[in-house]
Amino acid sequence: MPLSVDERWNLIEKISKQTVEFGARKHTLKDAIAELTVKPLTGIPVAIAVLYGIWSFFVDFAGTLFTDGFMVRLFDEHWLPFLQNAFHNNLDNWAYRLFIDAGHIENGVLVASDNCLEAFGVLTSGFFVPFGVVLWAVLAFYLMFALLEDVGYLPRLAVLVDTVLHKIGLHGYAIVPTFLSLGCNVPGVTATRALETRKQRFLMITLLSVFVPCGAQIGIMQDLVPELMGWIFLTLAIGYLGFGFILNKIVPGKSPEIIMDVPPYRMPMMKNIVSKLWVRTSRFLLVAVPFVLLGCLIVGLMYLTGAMDWLATVLGPFLMSWFGVPEETVSPLIAGFLRKDLAVGMLGGLMEQGIMTTFQVFTSVVLLCIYFPCLATFALMLKEENWKEFLGSIASLVAMVLVYGGLIHLVGIMLEVA
Amino acid sequence: MKILLMGHPNVGKSVFFNRLTGAKVFESNYPGTTVDFTKGWMRFGGEDVELIDVPGAFSLEPKDRAEEVAVKMLEENRDSVVICVLDASKVERGLYLALEIIERGYPVVVALNMWDVAEDKNIRIDVEKLERILGVPVVPTIAISGEGFKELVSKIKEAAPVKIEKIIENAGGVESAAVSG
Repeated sequence: MPLSVDERWNLIEKISKQTVEFGARKHTLKDAIAELTVKPLTGIPVAIAVLYGIWSFFVDFAGTLFTDGFMVRLFDEHWLPFLQNAFHNNLDNWAYRLFIDAGHIENGVLVASDNCLEAFGVLTSGFFVPFGVVLWAVLAFYLMFALLEDVGYLPRLAVLVDTVLHKIGLHGYAIVPTFLSLGCNVPGVTATRALETRKQRFLMITLLSVFVPCGAQIGIMQDLVPELMGWIFLTLAIGYLGFGFILNKIVPGKSPEIIMDVPPYRMPMMKNIVSKLWVRTSRFLLVAVPFVLLGCLIVGLMYLTGAMDWLATVLGPFLMSWFGVPEETVSPLIAGFLRKDLAVGMLGGLMEQGIMTTFQVFTSVVLLCIYFPCLATFALMLKEENWKEFLGSIASLVAMVLVYGGLIHLVGIMLEVA
Repeated sequence: MKILLMGHPNVGKSVFFNRLTGAKVFESNYPGTTVDFTKGWMRFGGEDVELIDVPGAFSLEPKDRAEEVAVKMLEENRDSVVICVLDASKVERGLYLALEIIERGYPVVVALNMWDVAEDKNIRIDVEKLERILGVPVVPTIAISGEGFKELVSKIKEAAPVKIEKIIENAGGVESAAVSG
């Protein structure tokens, strides 16, 4: 005979009275730290300090030390010139343009590129993007994230932001998938399984895939437009909260309270951190590198066959009038279906050629973030959502991109910077 | 025979799994690390036995996807022994799930994990008495440092189904729901 809920609790009370003894509780240092990090008055400054610390580490370690310090020099001053010399700068050869240097038009003449972002060959940009920039960004981010995870800070951050997230129909726990997504959207989307209702999962998956850039993307954005990062994050955060608020109002279903456990603080274990870093980083390389190379190849072929020019002429007027970005952004937008980091890297090439204003760069970067989740995330969404929810996600995605992209353009026009 | 690892979210099931199988499942200090189940193999009594790391669940009345997966895992593996991992500093909450699993007729071993945290909080548990009342093996463990694991594994073969009526009797009877208080 199964017990009723009350009977079971009664039995547990009986058992625990006879076996468990609660001594006087000592207030330990751990408790004191735990309280400081969840009470708003002290917790918010702590949270800001922690996030700022992560960001500084990310920028200094990945950006300044590895990418600028070693990789840019290695790729631009040695690898690219080496290949260009070895193959005699043969810009007339289609294979050379596909694999080494696509070149670009300067004053009506096709000239050689002088850096690995512009070159856009499979062997140049295709390797520079994942190994020169993104690997270090991802490594730095995963290290920080593993530490935060194992110490037990994330649930406390969740408690802190709970009130804000409730306004958009989510629970403080949403901070965990959001944070995970900043590394890679794939584990972020998987983590939404811990949310209770389908509505919460739908909201979360849609917001994640649209407004949360992954570590790879952040790394390369930081490399290209460090001065715009604040504006980009602000724009994405406003989009996340704003559209979360709207979606919460129009999507049927409930967003009930979730009672979440706040675990004790623990000392992270070296072994666990190292194994997490290894597994996550190697998984990233396995998934990302083939896609980046494939992306380079496809885009290169589209240029060679003239398909890209055709698309640029067809979509150009719409892109220009609605979003205010030049028709050249078609190619990064195409590449972005495969890999966002590659796409942002291509924008870098366009910037070098000086065909975009700062505001257009800003708009394009934001557009690249929001217009489509990467292929891997897209496939996962198909798996995680039923077809109705999936169509809903896609519809909201299209609507959000059009509305938000247009809105950014409008603000630009009003501020007279567009 | 299969062995299922069950318990609340964030009580250390993944750490148990890694220790018992030598596998690499992520361990994180926040609830909900394992939202899908993971299988592995462990040596037990001279043979390879399948061990399943079940997503964290508070009860067998599912409230989220992870709990749905947990209940499904339990139902699909009728012939398993369940290692029920409890947070020793919150025994009562963990016992609810343990009792539910026992009521469904599964042989259970109870691991009182985070024994060190319970000690920090000055909570003392009479393990022998708890074992006598429940009629199943109860082992204190500290998963992250590995304490208690040898004993835990050696007790798996002692696990046997227990009738809930027997536990009620051992606990000294229980009032019916109507007169609870």
